[in-house]
Amino acid sequence: MAKGRFVIGVLLLGALAAPIWGSRAQAAEKPKKTVEKYFVPDVVLVNQDGTKIPLKKFLETDRPVMLDFIYGTCTTICPVLSASFVNLQNRLGTDSRKIRLVSISIDPENDSPKVMKEYMKRYRARSGWDFLSGTRSDIDRVMYAFNAYIANKMDHYPLTLIRYPGDGRWVRIDGLMSASELMEEYRKVSGK
Amino acid sequence: MTALRRRTPSLRADARRTALCLLASLFLSAGVFAADRKPEPVPMPKEEALRLGERIYREGILPSGEPVMAIVQEDIPVDGTMFSCTSCHMRGGLGSNEGRISTLPTNGDSLYRPYEDTPVPMTTVEKNFKKFRAAHRRPAYTDETLAEAIRLGTDPAGRRLDPTMPCYQMNDRDMAILVSYLKVLSSETPPGVTPTNIRFATVIAGDVAPEDRDAMILPLEAYVRERNSRSRGLQRRVRMRASMEGLNLALRDVSLARWELRGPPGTWRAQLEEYYRKEPVFAMLGGIGYGDWRPVHDFCENHRIPCVFPITDFPVISESDWYTIYLSKGIYQEGEAAARYLRREVERVPETTIVHVYRDTPGGRALAAGFEETWREMGLPSPECRVLRGDEPVTGKLLRSLPAKGAHAVLLLWAGPEAAQALEEIAADPARPGKVFLSYSLWKRNPGTVPDKARDYTFLTYPYRLPREEGPYGNMARAWLAAKKVPLNDRRIATRTYSLIGVMSQAFGKMRQNIYRDNFIDSISVLPDLLYPDYERLSFGPGQRYASKGCYIVQLTHGAVPEIVKKSDWVIH
Ligand code: HEC
Repeated sequence: MAKGRFVIGVLLLGALAAPIWGSRAQAAEKPKKTVEKYFVPDVVLVNQDGTKIPLKKFLETDRPVMLDFIYGTCTTICPVLSASFVNLQNRLGTDSRKIRLVSISIDPENDSPKVMKEYMKRYRARSGWDFLSGTRSDIDRVMYAFNAYIANKMDHYPLTLIRYPGDGRWVRIDGLMSASELMEEYRKVSGK
Repeated sequence: MTALRRRTPSLRADARRTALCLLASLFLSAGVFAADRKPEPVPMPKEEALRLGERIYREGILPSGEPVMAIVQEDIPVDGTMFSCTSCHMRGGLGSNEGRISTLPTNGDSLYRPYEDTPVPMTTVEKNFKKFRAAHRRPAYTDETLAEAIRLGTDPAGRRLDPTMPCYQMNDRDMAILVSYLKVLSSETPPGVTPTNIRFATVIAGDVAPEDRDAMILPLEAYVRERNSRSRGLQRRVRMRASMEGLNLALRDVSLARWELRGPPGTWRAQLEEYYRKEPVFAMLGGIGYGDWRPVHDFCENHRIPCVFPITDFPVISESDWYTIYLSKGIYQEGEAAARYLRREVERVPETTIVHVYRDTPGGRALAAGFEETWREMGLPSPECRVLRGDEPVTGKLLRSLPAKGAHAVLLLWAGPEAAQALEEIAADPARPGKVFLSYSLWKRNPGTVPDKARDYTFLTYPYRLPREEGPYGNMARAWLAAKKVPLNDRRIATRTYSLIGVMSQAFGKMRQNIYRDNFIDSISVLPDLLYPDYERLSFGPGQRYASKGCYIVQLTHGAVPEIVKKSDWVIH
């Protein structure tokens, strides 16, 4: 995915740079699941209310956690990821606080608390779902820790990480899930 | 790694999705259901239909004012307020390509012609593209099959679209309105474009020193010359190949007109209209002016003309305007950075008191607005404020008279180097404010004139990359500019124009043959983050209009040539 750290300022004079359609794999790939061990870095991020969030403490709770990587102006992938988070919250109703939903920005420069708050409002997120941003270097650390480093946000791919509170294992799901698939994951992690 | 379980066979998922989409459509059409029914003729004047269709496409709002309902990813209900067609297919409708998911074009020109193989793939990129196209081959859409794709997710070749394409629930009338919009979306040749040429303009807004004007225009003209000699070479080669899928942008010549605006800004609009009437342009590149960019901004907004990276300290600050992409928010951004930095200071030391002083000049007002608006957004009460007349001197006496006293007091002093003497005078006062904030830009970009004695308690907003880190980025630009004999000065005009050229040529590469204005903007929106001269980082995204988001808070070391030391992150949250 990551082709290089970033594009340094060389002028591509008149270049036929990469067109919209690259050599990407086909869509309609089915989600892939693995079990992983991750070490959450001890960074302090900021949420949609401007509140500082110590990430390690925030994720290592006795509640199940579902985490994804999104950004405020993302196309295609984030709409679906976020729609499925809010749909899960709606389905759980008053139970929705029993799981902690966390979205981490991969465009931390643009995703200020204000941008994040508006994003959450658009999706009618309820409490129990936080959108976190931070400094570029802290966000990079988080992406590395979850083996999800994305140098260029347009190379973003859908990923959902689920933390089991009992033994702290993470289930990693690559790809987009349907509502029923996500619900099934919730049932497993909450022991219902 | 352990694979936990095999996937549900996709046939089952498909069947479930079709059932859900059918069910949804059934509810909506109150019983009368035929998947391939014809959209009604649009029951209203064309302009009205286009306006309403655009609203469905961009905002997900139906003519009734209700959000459109849909099902995405097999079974997730969504509505148009969350996202709409534009979120995935982009405003120009040429599709997007994020990670592993490609959305196809939805503009009329692409939908109403067959999607086939590219004739003769030339490069590796085109060979991959050919594979992609082969898998998506289909005949031209008709109004009926298009409605079916949007409602049920199948294309005219009978292929099931990826479930990330939602199934939309729309009645026949609304569908007809949307389809009439898709038909014209990115389908007509825009102004300023001919089969062999694309015309651009660059605006010189009011009095601009010849040196500054040249620093902007010479690199642009050099770029145009280089590019045209290259495109002529390409044209010769390509003419020999019979099969080309429409003329690529790289094959056209570019021309660049200078639009010079004279007299009071109130008359600029009429001058712009006149230039545009005489020689319509596809887009505006760069431009320069010392005052408010608003007249040019509004002109571009009204005519839907893209304008990229004008050199101005006073961009229009807007969250919804679309057509001008700025390098940053200019001087306003320095006030914003001060507010974000001080907010954390107030959290840490609640007894902090802030006094806000600004000079009643465009620069002072921009800083004040940046600070105040950001402060208010964060829900904090406006601090005590004092406005200095345009020529009012800043004296030690004046500073002592302000209610900013003692270690916990912060003075925002949006004035220029004429305040240096006063800062020096109060340096030894026990009651002087603990911190004073100045703006690098308003201080005429000359930190050496901040008095040595005042540096320990003085902070500056600094909207650029730190000088000691600029090396590799600046050198590359300077070498290119020197070769073109472009004068360099401390206003960074030539280096910022260099960034414009970089962004533009990358965006041109992404546009290929789809030379439409919205697609030009969309192509800039999907660029990766760029490390160019001057700003720490430029970043883009649909709706992001200020490429540099950062501004340091810095302090100065002692001595005649002080070093700039950062006290904050580049972007402060
Ligand atoms: C969440 C993202 C998303 C949204 C929102 C979305 N689409 Fe799509 N659309 C896609 C994807 C992905 C494809 C490609 C599917 C494939 O290749 O199988 C697609 C394909 C299509 C196609 C088929 C094009 C072809 O050449 O066969 C049409 C037509 C279309 N979309 C129209 C629309 C319209 C109209 C809207 C708004 C009412 C819309 N889409 C909203 C993601 C989206």
